[in-house]
Formats: sequence, structure tokens, C-alpha cells
Amino acid sequence: MRGASDSLFGLGKLTSFELPKGGVPYYRGGGPAAEPSLLALLAFKTAPGPVAGMEALLAWVSTLQNPDGSVAVNAADRDQGIWLTAPAAVVFERYGMAPARDRALDFLASLSSKTVANDSNVRQDNTIVGWPWVRDTFGWVEPTAWAVLALGVCGRGSHPRAVEGRRFLLDRQIPSGGWNYGNPGVNDRELLPFWDTTGLALLALRERTDVSSVRPSLEFLQTNQEKIRSLCGLAWAVLGLEAWGRAAPRLRERLAAAMAPASDEGLNAAHLAAGVIALSGGRVFAP
Amino acid sequence: MRRREFLAGAAVMAGAAALGRPADGSAQLSASPCPVTLLPMPDYGRDMEREIAQVMVADGLVLKGKRVLLKPNFVEAHPERPINTNPAVIASVAHACLRLGASDVAVGEASGHRRDPWFSVLNPGLRSVLDKRVRCLDLNHGEAVAMPNRGGSSGLAKFYLARAVAEADVLISLPKMKTHHWMGVTLCLKNLFGTLPGIYYGWPKNLLHFRGIENSVLDLARTVRVHYNVIDGVVGMEGDGPIMGRAKPVGALVLSPFSLAADATAARLMGFEPRRILYLVMAARFLPGLRPEDVALRGEDPRRLATRFDCLDAFKPMRGGPFF
Repeated sequence: MRGASDSLFGLGKLTSFELPKGGVPYYRGGGPAAEPSLLALLAFKTAPGPVAGMEALLAWVSTLQNPDGSVAVNAADRDQGIWLTAPAAVVFERYGMAPARDRALDFLASLSSKTVANDSNVRQDNTIVGWPWVRDTFGWVEPTAWAVLALGVCGRGSHPRAVEGRRFLLDRQIPSGGWNYGNPGVNDRELLPFWDTTGLALLALRERTDVSSVRPSLEFLQTNQEKIRSLCGLAWAVLGLEAWGRAAPRLRERLAAAMAPASDEGLNAAHLAAGVIALSGGRVFAP
Repeated sequence: MRRREFLAGAAVMAGAAALGRPADGSAQLSASPCPVTLLPMPDYGRDMEREIAQVMVADGLVLKGKRVLLKPNFVEAHPERPINTNPAVIASVAHACLRLGASDVAVGEASGHRRDPWFSVLNPGLRSVLDKRVRCLDLNHGEAVAMPNRGGSSGLAKFYLARAVAEADVLISLPKMKTHHWMGVTLCLKNLFGTLPGIYYGWPKNLLHFRGIENSVLDLARTVRVHYNVIDGVVGMEGDGPIMGRAKPVGALVLSPFSLAADATAARLMGFEPRRILYLVMAARFLPGLRPEDVALRGEDPRRLATRFDCLDAFKPMRGGPFF
């Protein structure tokens, strides 16, 4: 079974990124960082058995949670990276760490994006509350999608913030399909959709959303899949399409190839982990 | 001060700047005019390594044994729009640095819109034109160094600079010559946003917008030491830049050790009066090179390059010229 062997290969490579003192860096030679560590832990959950270093990595990640429940970008800058709280909540849920999960979810519920009055030049509803990357700033697609996803995975998909978060994402969807990082368009011109944000938003919306609401984005990914080249784009496109029951065998093949580059130069461990998760069928994100 | 208020009082401000206030905190002071060189580059098919190296030497840039970081401008990837610094320009500058004896040359960017680095510095298209010794660094995803904010405009106490930026011996800014829908023009100074990792600031770096884009640019200009600048004006962007505009060929590179002098000269080539562009005027409080008499122009005759970039109506009062 090719998919399973590709996934195991990816897992093996991912474990080689783990640092002796804890954590996974984005790139070889870098310092430990929350995001690749969190995604690596989710990838490890797809393994058929225990993964070397998993417990140590989980312990390292746990140290990144602040007393208010937020999760830091790394151990040195504890007040930075609150957007990582959502993927951390998914990890805490999957590893049975209920107190840490609940504190993370409470923090997410307390964190709101800034809103402003609507602007006729921007085709979006600026009054809908989502989640920001950084405190006291606007809401954006990726942190909002992660927060909605986390609430769903943790059984809180009916929470009012999750409901509004889904509304936020649907509002930011580009009419002809896909998601940019934020706005669907400016001055009557659509912005470019991105592969990764589109896949992530589709994954987040798979719960409690009618397929007709996201059909343009599914069609966009499906019809443009041959244009996707990057490991990041391929991984999130597979996750987004398969979340809605759309088979993506050719994308999977290309994803597996992208996970085994000739050189690790430029190989991002967070993207590699997303690839492993995608090849596993994305079960760690199931509600 | 808001942009509209500024435009109303632009003549007064320009006069104040022309008096040459003392620098307050910047490392850059220049008693003599700032050298700015215009290098003709009619298209991206021409290798400019040798010419760029010659200008760098003439400008006193010493690279032997130094760790050099090139900071291009990668915002967004669009097949038909000249949004980003062209790989041919990046390669020419990188190879010029190697020619001048740099011990390490890296190209690094923290792209403000595209999180996937495949669309910026880790794109195979860029890699394919670079010497194998040149490293490509995704500055969005990695470690940062907290640096005290040396300015006081944004209210931010510190900036988290990508470690590669903080540790480089020499930082070279390589922006694209473009209009900007919030600031008028985006050149060397605005390019400094890309020294801040997205994992700290998000995509886009919305915190800097909330604190005022001009304020943030000014603070970064005080905090980040830039040693050299090369503006890609081979094909710029006019109209609704920095993403939604149209191609505007100028056919030149603008080189200078002085960021503001490079920006002011590029603005004039684009048909803008830099003394009507708020953040450039504010930067003149601590950086040299705003006024024409502050600049020693070298290389190509600017009259052969000067043009008029179209822009949004809000920025038309910033236009001026002819300057040369």
C-alpha cells in the first residue's frame, strides 16, 4: 500500500528533525518552534505504533502553554504566537490532556478579532468576529480556520464563537472559489486564492456547513490541482478536498513525491507533518 | 499626522526638511551628498553582476569575509504582474557579493502575504538562477531576536527581527519600484517590513498597520541597519500597487548606501515629489538624501529614465516634476 509506506517514510524523516533538547524546528539547523512541533505531534498520532521521541516532544510543547491558556511561538518569546493556541488545543485533545485543552479553548473563546464598520470598497462584512494572528488586530482566514477546527475537534462546534467563525470564513470566501489570506476582493476585483488557506478553510468548514456554500472552492481546488507545486499547497489541498469526500489520488501521488526531496534544504518540518497527516486521511482533525 | 493633513501642509513640511535637522538616533549621517547610481538594465536577460560590483566598490561597500543578507521584496505571486523583485536582479546582486569576497551570501524574506515560501525565496525558479553557494532563507518561519524599537512613532517597545537579519554583517535591501495604495510608493524603507517573521506578526503584518504603516516604517528605519540598497526598476508597478497594479518599465537599477536617498531618487524617476510623501519627509529627520541637493547622482542620465507612474487618485497630489 503506497500511501502507508509514504506516510511512514514521512514520519521517519519527521522524527529526524526532533532536537535533542526538545522541540522541532521549521528547518534543519533552526531552533525549536511551536508550530512544527504541534503538527509533528499530530502526524505522530497517525503512526501505527509509538513514535520515538513523542513523549519528550509532548512534554516540550506543554511547557509553551502560558497560565492564561495561550500557547507561545517558542520558549523564549512567551507573549508571542497566540494563534498557535488553536492547533495546540487539537494536540491536547488528541493526547488526552483535558486540563491543557480546556485552558486553551477558554483562551480561544476570550480572544476576538477587531472589527470595524463596513467599507463599500471591500466586499466583506467587517463586523463579523473571527480570530487574529496577534492581539488587538483584525481577523484573518488562517487563525480563524484553525480556531473553528479546534473547537470542532474538541466537541464544541456549536459554540457561538465557532458558529460566528464559520460565518466569518464563508464571508471571506472568494466568490469564484478559494480563499486569500484575508479579503475576498478589493474595489470589485477578486484577490488571488491560495492553496493552503483554501485547503485549511475547507477542512475547518466540513462540519455544520452545507456543501453548496463551499462548492466554488472545492471546484477551484479540484480543477487547478495540477498547478499546485509546493509541499505546503499539496498537503492542505488534499486535506481540504478529502474532508469533503473528494478523492485526490493524483494530488496524493505528487504530495508523496514532494515529501521526499533530493535534499532537505528548504524542507519545512511543519509542511512535512501536514503532508503525513494528509496522507493518513486527516483523521486527527475529525470532530 | 494623517496623510490628507500632510498633503495640505506639504510645502511647509518640505521646507522644514530642507533645513536639515540633526539626526536623532540613526547611524546614518552624511555631511556630503549621498551617492545614488542609476544602472541601465533594459530587461531581465542581462547579467549585471560585474557592473553592480563596480558600483558597490565605488560606494565604499566592503564585503570581504562578511556575512551578507539580501532582502528582496516578495509579496504575492501572480503570473502577469511584476509584484516581486525579479530573480535576475537578486542573482546579479548575490553574485556581485560573492565576487567581492563575501564569506556567506543569503537571500532572505519574510513575505507579507504568502505564507507558503514556495512563492517567495524557496521558489525553484529563484534557486535555479543562484550560485550554489547562495543560501535561500524563509525568514517567516524561524527564530527572531527582540530588538528595542529605536524610534518612537509606532508605540511598539521592540521588534522581533528575523535572526538572520539581526546577525548579518551586511544587509542589502532589494525592493521593487512600485506604487502603494496606502503610502504612495513602496521602495527601500517599506521593504523593511519583510525583516519581521510572520510567526510573530501574522500574514499580513496587521499589527504594523494598526500602529500606522508610516509609523512602523519610520521605526524600522531607525532600528534596522541597512548597509546598501538596490531598487529593481527594470519593470516597476504603477496604478493600484503594490499588488493589483500594472507593469511600468523604467529599465534601470537604483543603487545607494543610503536608503532615503535611493527612495527619493526612485520616487523622482517615477514622477513623484518625495517631499510630498509623508513617510519620506518624516524619515528625513534622521536619514539623509531627501532633497535633490542631498544626492550625488551617478551613472545613466536620469532624463533618459524618468517617467510618470500612474497612481490612485488619492496620491496624485504627490506627483511632481520634471525633476531632472
